[in-house]
Amino acid sequence: MALFEYATESDVTRAIISGFAEDMKEYASTDVIVIGGGPSGLMCAKELAKKNVKVLIIERNNYLGGGFWIGGYLMNTITVRAPGQEVLDDLSIPYNKFAPNLYVTNGPHACSKLIASACESGAKILNMTKFDDVVFREKNRVSGAVVNWTPVSALPREITCVDPIALESKVVVDASGHDAVVVKKLEERGLIKTPGFGGMWVEKSEDLVVEHTGEAHPGLVVTGMAVSTTYGLPRMGPTFGGMLLSGKKGAEIIHELLKR
Amino acid sequence: MSYLKDRGIFLYDESLCRNLDFHEIKRYLDGKINADIEIRKGFISYYLRQEKIDCFARKIAGIRVRDLRRNTFFEPLYGEIKYEERMLKKPKNCSVMYDGFKLQALLRELITHEEYKHVHIVFTNRLFGTFDENDMRYHARVIICGHPSLISTSGIVEAPAKPKRFYYLKQKSAILGIPIDIAKKKFKGRFVDYDDERITEIMKGYVMQALMYSITGKPFCNNRNCRLFNAHWQEEVLNAQLNGHEFCEKHKGIIEKIKEMREYT
Repeated sequence: MALFEYATESDVTRAIISGFAEDMKEYASTDVIVIGGGPSGLMCAKELAKKNVKVLIIERNNYLGGGFWIGGYLMNTITVRAPGQEVLDDLSIPYNKFAPNLYVTNGPHACSKLIASACESGAKILNMTKFDDVVFREKNRVSGAVVNWTPVSALPREITCVDPIALESKVVVDASGHDAVVVKKLEERGLIKTPGFGGMWVEKSEDLVVEHTGEAHPGLVVTGMAVSTTYGLPRMGPTFGGMLLSGKKGAEIIHELLKR
Repeated sequence: MSYLKDRGIFLYDESLCRNLDFHEIKRYLDGKINADIEIRKGFISYYLRQEKIDCFARKIAGIRVRDLRRNTFFEPLYGEIKYEERMLKKPKNCSVMYDGFKLQALLRELITHEEYKHVHIVFTNRLFGTFDENDMRYHARVIICGHPSLISTSGIVEAPAKPKRFYYLKQKSAILGIPIDIAKKKFKGRFVDYDDERITEIMKGYVMQALMYSITGKPFCNNRNCRLFNAHWQEEVLNAQLNGHEFCEKHKGIIEKIKEMREYT
């Protein structure tokens, strides 16, 4: 006797298409689009979804989590400085105290828990999807994202002449890491000017990222390392507390913006 | 010397520093120069009207030091202005460096005509620096004397150099992602730290420097054992402010003379 019940190939195909189409129809217009499914983007999406905000994460890779799977030098131990361990507690991620105020955890465990938590909170994910451009409204307010399949950009133009699609939202989050792809798009249009990497106060780099998390342009909130690129903050060491807390703070700020 | 005749002395607390006792500093100054000092909450909150916050936030965002090797400024980003608005509405410890002279000028603009003649000494948690054209870079400062005089409670931690070994250890810690607290622990007591319990005693000397500037135009002394010594190393700060030397003979005389004159007037 067969273990699995009977389904035809065409049933499977229809199920994939209709499931995906339902999601796309539902999320063509949403409250928040998060560009980048790294630690700050996931954290931001999770916190918002928990408050019943409709959130869509756009991730260019097949996998979520960005650099959160591994720590420095490709070693999969993640370090978190206090008070970042409070987020680990919230997510029920086990960790050890390495030194006063410094905690270590297993990268794959922490990352998968964060992804699961974002999904369980209700955030929807579009992976293998690349941010292409910004949707603008009156007074250049950011009001959505233009996206396309990731493979489109990886193949020669003559083969993949595929037009992107536009998704609307009340707020867009640039959580795309050092690339800060949304901010860079605004810069291309002369709406923002990033100062490049500076040497402000290196010791405080993690604090600076959290402090500067916020609305960088009307309708655009910047979190995580994209904050660093936007404001020219110094590079950080391999600790992830700043990313998690930046995502959390971004969610708080967006929640306030949505109330307005 | 003006002896501060007809001039009030106002100390402003924008330090967010829980161990800084302004009443103790006031008592100290009363004893030294018979100063009638008024303690006020925050300089910016005292002078800046609520409706002007947006405008002031833009100005203060425009004087950030973005690169220690450049003293060029440009139109601040939307997010930087929003950041400053948040800081002005609800002050918090921040991690940005500002151009000290430009900050001083911005604060000076806020002083009302009626209060312009008085001595204003502002304790702030903001870190500021001045650009040195000799080595073409910014250096963090503890104090900028003038009108108003600014004293930074972040500057006292960040500006005077710590022991060389500390920086070596700090660099090593940064590479390994180890918190700076561990390196600090090994050098405990050898430099001023945030929320240092010795901060009130140390700041007495810096307020005296600001006052000496207002009275004599000369805030500093070359004697390492005088509270008016312009220390560049933490070790020098601790020696000048905590070793009980108080003032050198020359400045002791000047301070006594100021006190007598103030009693007389």
